[in-house]
Amino acid sequence: MNKRFLRIFAVVSVFALLAAACNGGGTSDDPTDGPAGGLPQGGIYRVQVDTDFGFNGGFDPTGEYLGWAWALYSNLLVRNLVTYNHTSGVEGATIVPDLATEVPAPSEDGLTYEFTLKDGIKFGPPVNRDITAEDFVTAFKRLGTPSAAAQYGFYYTEIAGLAEFTEGGAEGEISGVEAVDPKTLRITLTKPVGDLMFRLAMPATGPFPAEVSDCWKNAGEYGRYLIASGPYMIQGSDELDVSSCDAMRPISGFDPAERLALVRNPSYDAATDSKDVRANNVDGFLFATNSNNEDIFNKLDAGEIEGEVATAPPQVLRKYETNPDFEGRLFVEPGDRTWYITMNLTLPPFDDINIRKAVNQAINKDTLRTIRGGPTTGEIATHVLPPEMTGGTPTNTEYDPYPSTDFQGDIEAAKEFIKESKYDSDGDGECDDPVCKDILFLTRNSPPQVEQAPAVEEQLAPLGLTFNIRELDTSTAYTQLGDLNQKLPIAINAGWGKDYGDPSTFAVLFDGRNITDVPGANSNYALVGLTEEQAAGFGIADEADRNVVGVPNVDEKIDQCAALLDQERTDCWIEFDEQLMEEVVMWAPMLWATNNDLLGPAVAHYEYDQFAGEAAYSKVAVDTSLQEGQTSLEG
Amino acid sequence: MSAIQTDPTAAVEQAISDEPSKAIIGRSPWQLFWRRFKKDRFAFVGLGVILLLILLAIIAPVFAKITGHAPTDQFASGPGRMTDSYGLPLGPNSEFWFGADGSLGRDLFVRIIYGIRTTLTVALIATGISVLIGVTLGILAGFFRGAVDTLISRLIDIILSMPLLLFAIGIVAACSVSKEGCLGGLIKPGMPVVIAVIAFFSWPYIARIVRGSTLSIREKEYVEASRSLGATNRRIMFREVLPNLMAPILVYSTLIIPANILFEAYLSFLGLGLPSRIPSWGRMLADATRFYDVAWWVMVFPGFFLFLTTLAFNLLGDGLRDALDPKTGRG
Repeated sequence: MNKRFLRIFAVVSVFALLAAACNGGGTSDDPTDGPAGGLPQGGIYRVQVDTDFGFNGGFDPTGEYLGWAWALYSNLLVRNLVTYNHTSGVEGATIVPDLATEVPAPSEDGLTYEFTLKDGIKFGPPVNRDITAEDFVTAFKRLGTPSAAAQYGFYYTEIAGLAEFTEGGAEGEISGVEAVDPKTLRITLTKPVGDLMFRLAMPATGPFPAEVSDCWKNAGEYGRYLIASGPYMIQGSDELDVSSCDAMRPISGFDPAERLALVRNPSYDAATDSKDVRANNVDGFLFATNSNNEDIFNKLDAGEIEGEVATAPPQVLRKYETNPDFEGRLFVEPGDRTWYITMNLTLPPFDDINIRKAVNQAINKDTLRTIRGGPTTGEIATHVLPPEMTGGTPTNTEYDPYPSTDFQGDIEAAKEFIKESKYDSDGDGECDDPVCKDILFLTRNSPPQVEQAPAVEEQLAPLGLTFNIRELDTSTAYTQLGDLNQKLPIAINAGWGKDYGDPSTFAVLFDGRNITDVPGANSNYALVGLTEEQAAGFGIADEADRNVVGVPNVDEKIDQCAALLDQERTDCWIEFDEQLMEEVVMWAPMLWATNNDLLGPAVAHYEYDQFAGEAAYSKVAVDTSLQEGQTSLEG
Repeated sequence: MSAIQTDPTAAVEQAISDEPSKAIIGRSPWQLFWRRFKKDRFAFVGLGVILLLILLAIIAPVFAKITGHAPTDQFASGPGRMTDSYGLPLGPNSEFWFGADGSLGRDLFVRIIYGIRTTLTVALIATGISVLIGVTLGILAGFFRGAVDTLISRLIDIILSMPLLLFAIGIVAACSVSKEGCLGGLIKPGMPVVIAVIAFFSWPYIARIVRGSTLSIREKEYVEASRSLGATNRRIMFREVLPNLMAPILVYSTLIIPANILFEAYLSFLGLGLPSRIPSWGRMLADATRFYDVAWWVMVFPGFFLFLTTLAFNLLGDGLRDALDPKTGRG
């Protein structure tokens, strides 16, 4: 580099840095109309997605584990045996029939379920044939095919014969999934599963047409050849040549990097569906990626799009909540997601339950929520399970084992816990052991966690706990936290959302049997239930700085609750939650997050899909007269 | 012929007594430098700004005392909080002269003043390390030529051809994962890794210039003379070559400092620099990207200080170069 360049480089760079920071900008027209009263039909519903679609399974329903993708399948593309009324709250978490005529009761032993399929249900173009029981058998065979990478395949391990099928035995059949006749499907289990219907409402168990899906047995491949069973299909599906596997070319309406265009499925018969499940008001959907988050919200303001799949910055939330021009365009819904601080039960000082209780007692959850963006972003969490998961109770005022005024933390009460701990030798309520100093504290390098970590650091300073904050990008942080050999004592980077409306989908995090030393794969971050045998197997039992003796275990309680039904089940999970908060204390829960959906001015009707935690696309409607910009699916 | 008779000798004497300054005075190189440098007003302004910044950095705790806010104090809750209910920072007032810095409600003014310490520490240490490495390797390459030169020069080529930012991102990421850092604990996460990365990518520029100058100096008569008197290589390098390299080393160090200041700002801007408790202008600008549409102050103040500092170092560097190396025009 010559000297002239060096100088210009330096000065110009300042401007570049400022310009980069100023990227975007500009204000937009203020739309003034909220959702109208009637439900207009037709029009294209346009949604922009922050940066990329984020599909983690190639949009192949067998493996795809992204909540937003589930919203697309369940509302628009893939019908299941049973599903939900795509709406918010308890009603949206209730199972209703979809392709089956009714939600079946189990046999007396709780092991067998028999589904009868509706008449008139068909696959979309180019397959255009009746959906039969055999198409569900195909789905379960894909689930059991290792190369298809069913990410939530663990939900189906109780289906008889699935494990043998996966191991290559059972002569290519799954004994527990049987097409009795084209209209009758029988599912047999190895042990009762109280929440089986929730599991059968997940997209991987929807019908697959073998003539297409059998061509694509590797992870994610089928996503670009997806044959619809729902009211919409990927644009260009009708041009797919299904004469042979070699002849198939990816469907034109789906470019994984840029756009996903959906049009009505001509083979779908609305008479086989319920208006409460799917109303199908619009003619099509255009989902497009946009790497500029700010631009997404500017377009939303201007009416150039109807929806967003992005995180609204606090100032945008403030505008939609306080500016009358935006009235009715912000929907704040329960997200069934808990944000928390996780503490490692085997690493000092958090191997002492009193330290963990002190953390719960001391943190100012109100401030931590403000840093996230204030009350719009969620309810303050006082225990693990969001109340919506257990019938709306207990709320944060009904059960708070570590109470404080306005959730602002209580340092004096926290000091009482510290006094009880083995790390406070002089009993003054401040941890004086060296293990309390310079504790590695993992966070994300992006908001809000990047700012929450220093806030927690300041809040815990009076207890004698000091931290060494490590900021990593979101995915590296998860990978590190999911590797038990990284020995991370405390972390604030992770959150957990339900897979379906049953607390068992939270319990998996605390099941000692799920602990693995595969790097990045362990989601029981706190190592709840780690046995000494497991620790020996992982080679972590004899480490001087790790205490694997006497780690609390809740496996038995999990098994007990999982076998129950209805209210008994709910009550059991509430007890489980209390056990976690008082006897295990692996987390300091901070927030039960909401999902905030912001709408463009042309949205005439909106509902929230409690199951997927996204917009209920099957219910939305647009007023095309209020739409700006391109309103067709061309290009 | 003029009417007045002139005595040429007297005229000369007259001239000498009238204009004593025209007499030839022996001046050292430093005196020559100073005569030229002090005429450069821009360089002086640059120097003045740098001295002022250093002064501010030294007396930073005074400002913390006056405002009552330490750079890491948070004002995100309770009375006197500096964020609204959405966690957005509040603007300048009589207590927070530059407003709050973000969702933690820290005092932006105090953080900017403390940021001078960070900026200068990182830039000066990184520059110092790169000068040390650059000068050492540059002299060795230029002096010994041959295989040593080839080895060092190719190493320089390799480093200069590396995609700088990508490598920096990789190194910072690799060294920031664990508490121990990387290279067996040699490079710790936080400031040490940032300094290491900056130094690693800066030394080749110095090394190249030093190598070039050494190549020409080693052929000079005084070096030949020294050698013929039996001086060792080491003595020649330290006593003959190095002093003659001082001018270019000084100039390029001064010009590399602003580049390094910005390098730190880039790394921090990308979230790869310093942890949040250490005030850094680059990081402040990065944070500002989230708020600038509703909080102008978070961008304007750190941006101004970063601009002012880099400009001052560049003006000083230019002045030094003009004064030390008058053959080169302003380019």
